[in-house]
Amino acid sequence: MRSVLSVTAIGLPGLALLLLYGQTGAAPDERAGMAARAEGVVIARCGSCHSTDLITQQRLNRSQWQGTVGKMVQWGAELSEEEAVLLVEFLATRFHQTAPASVTLNEIGAAEPLQAEPLVIQERPSGISQEGAGVFANNCQGCHGSGARGGFGPKLAGNPILNSERFWQTLLYGRGGMPAWEHTLSRQEIANILAWLKTL
Amino acid sequence: MLNADGEASVTKGHVVRVLSRRTVLRRIIQGLGLTLALGPAVPVVQARERAAQSDETDRLITRVARPLDAETPVEEFVAYLTPNSRFFLRSHFSPPPLEQLSDENWRLRVAGLVEQPLTFTRQDLKQFEAITITAVVQCSGNGRASYRPKVPGVQWEQGAVGNARWTGVRLVDVLKKSGLQTNGRHVQFQGADHPGAGTVPPFVRSIPIEKALHHDTILAYEMNGRPLPLLHGGPLRVITPGWMANSCIKWLTDITVRYDEAQGYYMQTAYRYPTRPVTPGETIAASDLKPVELMVVKSLIAQPRESASLKSGPVMIQGVAWTGEGTIVMVEVSLDEGRTWEPARMIGEDLPYAWRQWQYIWQATSGQKTIFSRATDDRGITQPETSPWGPSGFLWNGWDRVRVMVAE
Ligand code: HEC
Ligand code: HEC
Repeated sequence: MRSVLSVTAIGLPGLALLLLYGQTGAAPDERAGMAARAEGVVIARCGSCHSTDLITQQRLNRSQWQGTVGKMVQWGAELSEEEAVLLVEFLATRFHQTAPASVTLNEIGAAEPLQAEPLVIQERPSGISQEGAGVFANNCQGCHGSGARGGFGPKLAGNPILNSERFWQTLLYGRGGMPAWEHTLSRQEIANILAWLKTL
Repeated sequence: MLNADGEASVTKGHVVRVLSRRTVLRRIIQGLGLTLALGPAVPVVQARERAAQSDETDRLITRVARPLDAETPVEEFVAYLTPNSRFFLRSHFSPPPLEQLSDENWRLRVAGLVEQPLTFTRQDLKQFEAITITAVVQCSGNGRASYRPKVPGVQWEQGAVGNARWTGVRLVDVLKKSGLQTNGRHVQFQGADHPGAGTVPPFVRSIPIEKALHHDTILAYEMNGRPLPLLHGGPLRVITPGWMANSCIKWLTDITVRYDEAQGYYMQTAYRYPTRPVTPGETIAASDLKPVELMVVKSLIAQPRESASLKSGPVMIQGVAWTGEGTIVMVEVSLDEGRTWEPARMIGEDLPYAWRQWQYIWQATSGQKTIFSRATDDRGITQPETSPWGPSGFLWNGWDRVRVMVAE
């Protein structure tokens, strides 16, 4: 029988622990099937009080999803312990901070395996300009042109954004036609590009 | 009670005539789903009446289909007053059953730390002087989608705001009629909308007595000269000019004068923001959080629109700007990523609490261009490039930014 997780039974701290340490422990090929199951759980258990568009428009990291699912359980969402763990895993994977703008519940489909997303860390190391040139050539030049003089993307040489936190925000999370680099480049590599751009 | 059909038909982020009368009806019926299942049976015919009574609500961008959250496309803000049917909608729960709001059944109760608890009918409220105030009403989460890292909540872009003329009676007059006890420090509001499940906290909030007694704080029954529409909280809602809309309780039925703040999730946990800089992921002590009250200085560009294709030559840039309880003294425009700023011309009416219109004639040259705007208020506070990050994403007021393409 499904054991309905109620706050009175295990308490909120208990749920938090469960969500933090609960492991799905599945092999990658099993995970695709789990995604499909999780979609079903969202539709069955999360749509009674509000439409599920409130869920699919969020772009949150794992701990934010843990907090949200924990709050919903406290407010009456009926989830078994196993479903709660599955759901956080699913939501943190599909609706993470840098997921595309238009992900719906089952648009990407069950084929997408679940994988963990690291927490967002506010880290701004200082860069080494000599090492930035190569990273730029490999990743950015195609769009921003050689010497960062502009192309498909705007001119970056002498661009005041280089002295602004918006540089980091744009690099990490993307914007319009500009991809997000959070998971592709390290903070150090981004800092190196920035240092190099400032020499132009 | 999931209505897959209704949800599937909503195209998020697209401006369509989202809410035809029939759609409003369907939404309301959907919203009633839980009530129908759990609570007193509400005949569908009443929902139909309700939809017929509410103003037609068109051209809004739906963020959440149920309960309905929808924002105004920014280009509407070329108008000084935002029409009722184009004014953003924010609902914590579905609207209350229509019969509770009828003249016969609806009552306003004043209780708590008063000399004499009183109950008012709609007719009774006519004994008080009617006043009209033009004021911006803005959701505390307006602009939440701009925060990085992203935060949970309705992902509002720019349009959860509007400027309207609100007519009603002063809250202070109603409170005085009941007689205030000297230890009353906070005034609590509750509306007739209730969560569908008993486990969900009710939407109960309070404001400090100073704001409650301010002669511009009103209980409004008209919006832009028309009876307050159902979806905007009719028959009666609180208007706290200069403050964020979290205190503008809709479908008001209960006023309670208290010594302490209202208790419960929506006052003690939600609608609070950090009073010091915080980094994502850090734990914030309750003592470092304070209720969202005053609006912050902000401007929006209503024209031209994002991704517009323009011709080189003179281009009219126009928009609106507002702040908390003060006035706007300057709006500036930048066309070089914020390096240099040019003052815009202030136009139209200059009223406290309302927004101010502005315009700027730009000699556009060809290429992809970005227009920025920022406002400054009479306290000398200027709209920042980005707003300080907080875990709930309230009070966004970063520079507004529109990218356009200018042809030869
Ligand atoms: C018992 C009713 C109920 C159920 C079931 C429910 N929610 Fe909620 N949810 C709410 C309420 C109430 C809000 C807050 C609405 C408001 O204030 O506008 C909310 C808000 C949210 C938000 C917005 C962020 C926030 O914290 O306000 C997210 C995301 C969310 N819910 C996700 C979920 C998920 C995922 C599930 C399924 C596990 C779920 N909800 C099930 C009642 C519920
Ligand atoms: C696929 C093409 C593409 C690639 C690859 C790309 N960019 Fe971009 N970038 C863009 C576009 C398009 C914009 C304009 C985004 C917008 O619409 O706001 C942009 C904007 C930017 C901006 C903001 C400029 C401003 O004035 O606001 C910065 C900074 C930037 N890119 C840096 C980089 C760096 C560094 C890299 C390599 C790590 C990179 N980009 C790779 C297309 C790209």
